[in-house]
Amino acid sequence: MSESIVIVVEHHEGAVAAINFELLALAEALARIRPLKIRAVLLGADPEALARSFAKASGLWVTAFEHPGLPEYDAELYKTLLMEVLPELEARYILIPQTTQGLDYAPGLAVRLKSGCLTGVEGVGQGDDGPFFTRTAFNGKIVLDLAPTAAIAVLAVQPGAFKAGDVSGRPAGRVTVKHSTAEPKGSRGLGLKQVRQEDSGLAEAEVVVAAGRGVGKRENLILIEQLAALFARSAVAGSRPLCDQNWLEYKRQVGLTGATVAPKLYIACGISGAIQHTVGMQGSGFIVAISTDPNAAIFNIADVCVVEDLTTFIPALIEAHQGI
Amino acid sequence: MKILVCIKQVPDSETRVEIDARDGRIRIDQEAKHWMNHADEFAVEEAVRIKETLPDTVIDVLTVGPERAAQVLERAMGMGANQAFHLLAPEADYRSPFVTASWIGAVAADRGYDLILAGVMAQDDMQAQVGPILAELLGRPCATSVIFVEIRPEQGAVYVEREVEGGRRHMLELDLPAVLTIQTGINKPRYPTLSNLLRAKKQKATVLDASTLPPVSGRERLVAADYPRRSRAGQFLEGDRAEKADHLLRILREKAFL
Repeated sequence: MSESIVIVVEHHEGAVAAINFELLALAEALARIRPLKIRAVLLGADPEALARSFAKASGLWVTAFEHPGLPEYDAELYKTLLMEVLPELEARYILIPQTTQGLDYAPGLAVRLKSGCLTGVEGVGQGDDGPFFTRTAFNGKIVLDLAPTAAIAVLAVQPGAFKAGDVSGRPAGRVTVKHSTAEPKGSRGLGLKQVRQEDSGLAEAEVVVAAGRGVGKRENLILIEQLAALFARSAVAGSRPLCDQNWLEYKRQVGLTGATVAPKLYIACGISGAIQHTVGMQGSGFIVAISTDPNAAIFNIADVCVVEDLTTFIPALIEAHQGI
Repeated sequence: MKILVCIKQVPDSETRVEIDARDGRIRIDQEAKHWMNHADEFAVEEAVRIKETLPDTVIDVLTVGPERAAQVLERAMGMGANQAFHLLAPEADYRSPFVTASWIGAVAADRGYDLILAGVMAQDDMQAQVGPILAELLGRPCATSVIFVEIRPEQGAVYVEREVEGGRRHMLELDLPAVLTIQTGINKPRYPTLSNLLRAKKQKATVLDASTLPPVSGRERLVAADYPRRSRAGQFLEGDRAEKADHLLRILREKAFL
């Protein structure tokens, strides 16, 4: 055995999430800086078939770790089982998708491994004494380069940050099956429940006009609706804080834990551009951003930037449109 | 029930944050307004709601930060917390969440909390780590992104629902004592009351200097800070409001959106 980079494969309802292939892209970039083997671990109640299909699709050697308590994700079991398998694999970097699941167990796992944990990882670079990883802070206004100082690092990787490479045509990887019946301690999983359906109107809209905290008052949402009404096949969406205030339904939330949209045109109104929101709209065809903050991070991913107060700019825009 | 709520003071999201060209340090506008981290308000509110249903509940709040962070403790007291702890620590370009969590752990370990709450994520450094690290250091079960809480005192447990992707919730029961990180939208945070605020002013927070705690080092270090790269053209429209509106309309028509 030799030291390795390990991808902890996220899967739901018998399917491997697409982000695992983005993790593979990071693993390969990292292996160019520090030449380690890349391995994968897939945990589940009956993981072997899924592990085989991922080993085939990715070419990676996959450890399928079986535990009867894992029909669904369980934080305690994930940490316990990973503590058994990661030392065997001599894992030096552990790559985990930054999802609600990944963020749930990655920091605790790092404590058990006596390692560091970096969340929101968006890039990798070569420093003087090994790789460093980049993440954003301050609502996306600053990028930090962080270098792990412990022997092992757990990395929670931002979805959409790394482009999955073409891995077709690789020989299928091996699969090793492990079993455990370790008793879960301290918590009992009770399954999942669906609390709302996705809004198909949002996904199908060609133009999405989205509101953020910058709308200020609930009454100003009418401006967002008026702006959306200028376009055919449009929909109104928003960032999480608006939904938290009951100004918009949660099914209209774009971003982490909300919808991911990629319309032809996305108009962000009063949205700061924190990664929790942009992860859900950065694939849009053309992005217009309106914000009073000239340093707002949303401008970094916009095609057109308007530094104005939306409460006066949108009426001016509508008036100019109707005046012709 | 004895509850601890970990809260943080963060700069307003529109604050100018710059990198000093001379030393590469991060400079936050000194005039910036600071608030309680958004998610932490929901955590304080959730604790106050538990106190309303379980009358013998006591709520402590704790923050790590410079002197001005005392303001968020006052606010939490105003919302209904009983006692405040201020772990005094200077501003830092980067503080490893492991260090912050270790400090909180050193203070919380012997105080017999049945439940520790924190916000799901801080708005400024967006780590989402202090809560789950703290849980691990104290050897307690943990659930993150919690959007529903029900204490089950007779079972010595807490039932929670975690918000996960795709409009779904993950349901689980944790043995007490436990650590939860609270997702925004779980409740509607109340405004502080005047009488509570007056009490907060009179009843000072217990101040502890972080430098007196057992030393701990972070597990990652800041190599450099930089501005994000633009991923698109990022054309800034010029002129007055009307000119910008005209210009934007021209662009939208050229692209055949209008």
